[in-house]
Amino acid sequence: MTREDVERAAAARAGTAVPAGIAAPAATAVPAAAPAAGDRRLAIRRAIAAAMERANREIPHYYLATSIDMSQALAWLEAENARRPLPERLLVAALLLRAVALAVADVPEMNGTWEGGALRASAEVHLGVAVSLRGGGLVAPAIRSAQAKDVGVIMRELRDLVRRARASGLRSSEMGTATLTVTNLGDAGADALFGVIHPPQVALVGFGRVAERPWATRGRVEARPVVGASLSADHRASDGHRGALFLAAIDRRLQRPEAL
Amino acid sequence: MTREEIRSAVLEALAAVAPEADPASLDASAPLREQLDLDSMDFLNFVIGIHERTGAEIPEADYAKLASLEHAVAYVEARCAGGG
Repeated sequence: MTREDVERAAAARAGTAVPAGIAAPAATAVPAAAPAAGDRRLAIRRAIAAAMERANREIPHYYLATSIDMSQALAWLEAENARRPLPERLLVAALLLRAVALAVADVPEMNGTWEGGALRASAEVHLGVAVSLRGGGLVAPAIRSAQAKDVGVIMRELRDLVRRARASGLRSSEMGTATLTVTNLGDAGADALFGVIHPPQVALVGFGRVAERPWATRGRVEARPVVGASLSADHRASDGHRGALFLAAIDRRLQRPEAL
Repeated sequence: MTREEIRSAVLEALAAVAPEADPASLDASAPLREQLDLDSMDFLNFVIGIHERTGAEIPEADYAKLASLEHAVAYVEARCAGGG
């Protein structure tokens, strides 16, 4: 019995397409016929269960974490939002996503899929965004070719994806196609998270909330906004040293928000 | 806009991000984010929804003034009365 069997069975029983980006692409073609909310929730739960079981069975994860000073990024964001009309204002999440998409250029082996015993790196960064659903569950639709989209475009697509994910209006083409996923717990969340990779991807970047912390610099301690960033990566595809460089590359991008 | 019209516009904007919320059981003076488990994206969409329905300009620095239903209605009322 394969994971696809499990997902198909879950989908058939619930009368809907498997809705999560963490599900197999093969299982996403069934059109959803307005399933009841309870059925959809059950299908999502089962898709998560199948993908996470496979991830922990097959992927030898390693985990790295770092704290990133967000003062530059937040100062830039505040000034930028002051001049943007309301519907075009940015959230810090858009900056984090953009920084990850750009950092892939420095460490490309974080972006791709593990297939047939080898890493298949992707030239495009299809950035999966884990979106928690009201009342539980999550889906991870992708922002396609995020490396080529500026922060305003990423924000617009993120808003649209979150809105439609929570209203169960995602297209199957947006599911199961990510090459790297970002989980952002947001400002109500914990300080850091260590995620489970969505197979067949090879890495997942996690962000906790941005919070003011003591930050030592040039022999002094200052209060600064800091975000806990983590990397869960597949040890078959990369090693800790490269993973650390990837987190450092994300940090570097966030220190130059005007270039995002 | 009357206070009642503003109130229903705010409730509509809220229903768009938290469709399961029951306005009748909402504590009008308590923070909406905690009551309804809204994240920053939900809250931004709530503020945009108010803007679209009432025309009120809402700078980011003022988001905190819309924390509860009561506060949001009072804020929009003041903005509308003050000419935007």
